[in-house]
Amino acid sequence: MKKDKIVIGLAGNANVGKSVIFNHLTGLHQHIGNWPGKTVEKAEGTLHFKGHTIDVVDLPGIYSLSTFSIEELISREYIAVENPDLVINVVDASVLERNLFFTLQLVELETPIVVALNQMDMAKKKGIKIDQEKLEKILGAPVVPTVATSRAGIYELMQTSVDVVEKGVGKPTKIRYGEEVETRIRKLSEVVSKLQLPYPARWVAIKLLEEDEQIEQRIRQLDPKIVSVARKLAEEIEGIHGHSCSTVITSERYEIAGRVAREVQEIVPPTRLPMRERLHALTTHRILGYPVMVGVILSVFFGIFSFGDYTSQLLGAVFENFYSAYEGVFGTGMLATLVWGGIIEGLIAGITIALPYLIPFYLVLYFLEDSGYLSRIAFLMDNLMHKVGLHGKAFIPAMLGFGCNVPACLGCRIMETERERFLAIFVVTLVPCAATSVIILGLVGAYVGFEWALLLYVIDLLIIFVLGRIAFKVLPGESTGLIMEMHDYRTPHLKTVVAQAWFRLKEFIVMAFPLIIAGSFIIKLIDIVGLLKPIANILSPVTFVWLGLPAITGITLIFGVLRKELTLLTLLMLFETEFGTTDFANVPGFGSVQMIVFTLVAMLYIPCVATIAALVKEQGWRRALFITVFEIGFAIFVGGIAYRILTLTGM
Amino acid sequence: MDKKLSQLKHGETGVIVSIQALTMHHRHHRRHGWGFQRRLEDMGLTPGTKVVVVKSAPFHGPIEIHVRGSRLAIGRGMAERILVSVEK
Repeated sequence: MKKDKIVIGLAGNANVGKSVIFNHLTGLHQHIGNWPGKTVEKAEGTLHFKGHTIDVVDLPGIYSLSTFSIEELISREYIAVENPDLVINVVDASVLERNLFFTLQLVELETPIVVALNQMDMAKKKGIKIDQEKLEKILGAPVVPTVATSRAGIYELMQTSVDVVEKGVGKPTKIRYGEEVETRIRKLSEVVSKLQLPYPARWVAIKLLEEDEQIEQRIRQLDPKIVSVARKLAEEIEGIHGHSCSTVITSERYEIAGRVAREVQEIVPPTRLPMRERLHALTTHRILGYPVMVGVILSVFFGIFSFGDYTSQLLGAVFENFYSAYEGVFGTGMLATLVWGGIIEGLIAGITIALPYLIPFYLVLYFLEDSGYLSRIAFLMDNLMHKVGLHGKAFIPAMLGFGCNVPACLGCRIMETERERFLAIFVVTLVPCAATSVIILGLVGAYVGFEWALLLYVIDLLIIFVLGRIAFKVLPGESTGLIMEMHDYRTPHLKTVVAQAWFRLKEFIVMAFPLIIAGSFIIKLIDIVGLLKPIANILSPVTFVWLGLPAITGITLIFGVLRKELTLLTLLMLFETEFGTTDFANVPGFGSVQMIVFTLVAMLYIPCVATIAALVKEQGWRRALFITVFEIGFAIFVGGIAYRILTLTGM
Repeated sequence: MDKKLSQLKHGETGVIVSIQALTMHHRHHRRHGWGFQRRLEDMGLTPGTKVVVVKSAPFHGPIEIHVRGSRLAIGRGMAERILVSVEK
């Protein structure tokens, strides 16, 4: 049978080289989006192979098909319900047992699979030899050895896949549990098979015995009796084994995976300690690990921000020249100003953020992730992050936040559950970014004193700590500790790193640019129609009465929504027109107290519009709005308190 | 002798006896703590599994273990709830 269009899902554990294979297959013909209604990334691509058009869907990297994480649920639903023609299971040949545990679950879903036995080079380095034919026989599915990083085996993989789709190789072998479990699976699947379900009956029976919440819910709607029968059968198994039924089934599945792995592989470990092991020992060392980490992070920071700053200024200069030309042609009329200040400047703001900072950021992030270093940092920093209710993995986005909140928000994807993602993003938006540092150092640091600037940082960190803890306690759901695989160090595949960076950047531009432009357009419009002053007056109960600041600061705080450093620049401009001075020290009614309060508010009051765009993208409108509104309210609250404390203590 | 996984010294090997899922605090929610247990089991930490403790991060940080031919990092809090038997 010749099919015009073939749909293939790519599934497997995290860090097995899935994305490298995906990039080889689809090249530039890929599209990154989200799964409908979810904040989980969906990468799709198309390729043409021997007259076939093949759609490839890259499923999230997961360890199991239970419902612990959204990724697992999405993958499971995709495979079972959308029913791709084939699933290519990418397996790390150097960690066979763990990977086969996942393979066995695919087998249970009774979907046709082809196993890509990837990282054969790494397996060889570790002295692991795998009998591929034997594995094929046991699994009842074709096995193709590959080394994705050097493109070896990719052609054969596609050839085999197309063959399987066209000719079919029958369903893979069933895996058999212990007799006391098997009899109950059989009993249950007989009942289940009478229902109309998109899943195989045996699989549903197993899931019911495991008390899988989602499947139980589904079956309960159709026939609640079946669920109670399943619960009873599960209890019987629990009685026999002394462990819960899901524990028994998972154990047995792992036992089978282990047995298969032992049967097909021969291990002769190398006698010399390889380089990657020494690197691992150094980077996770209880003392030396930290200076190494600080060194890496500092150089990453320095690299990204010196590159970003330089390029940003360069671009800024280019655009400035462009402005003179623009003025020459269109004049300084109202419409021309609106188009420039509203639309083009918004575009410029977007470009000067996205290009100089995000490109290097993404490149470095994916490089470090692919190499395996990120998981080592998470290992070292886990304990510290637990203090704010997060675990080690959140340290990376939090660090990035000091540079720019935008990549930091996007980086929160590495957290596993929705709850953790929200918590991490919330914490990250409170981290003072580079622009905030400009205000802290440029105003308080320069005019009040360096120790006061330092104090503001300390206060910010304290606030992060307290709010993080509160959010952690208030948010419903179970907190999850750290459990992650630290895969072997390896040289990242550069082409994949570049491709990943490029497609994520593209996705961000599509999402964020309209928002940034709309934001600057609205503010410019308010400015042009002369509403800034009235709005500042409306805000004066807050700015003047509660915060004790000059009323015109209301205007600057509005501009700060675009980019935080604009609060300082517009303040300077306004003081110049009002008082004829560009020295903050000479402005009446703007003393040390006001400077500190102003900076405190600017530091906390809102994520800038680009960050809001990133928030919307990651968390949706409602949560983005919630975080924004909360932070405005909180900043005003804290600012007012600080004003009163500072005046009371007689500053 | 049964110990918590977190009490094992570096280089020591233990066999998992059980995972304590439910804490007093969460007992009124039937499902609470289950996700935790299932997640550990999905990562291969099932009863009867051999675990080697490699090292731990300082300040009560996570511990590194070898299990089923792979290397895992596991938070201290989670390791405290895994009971292992140590052969002498």
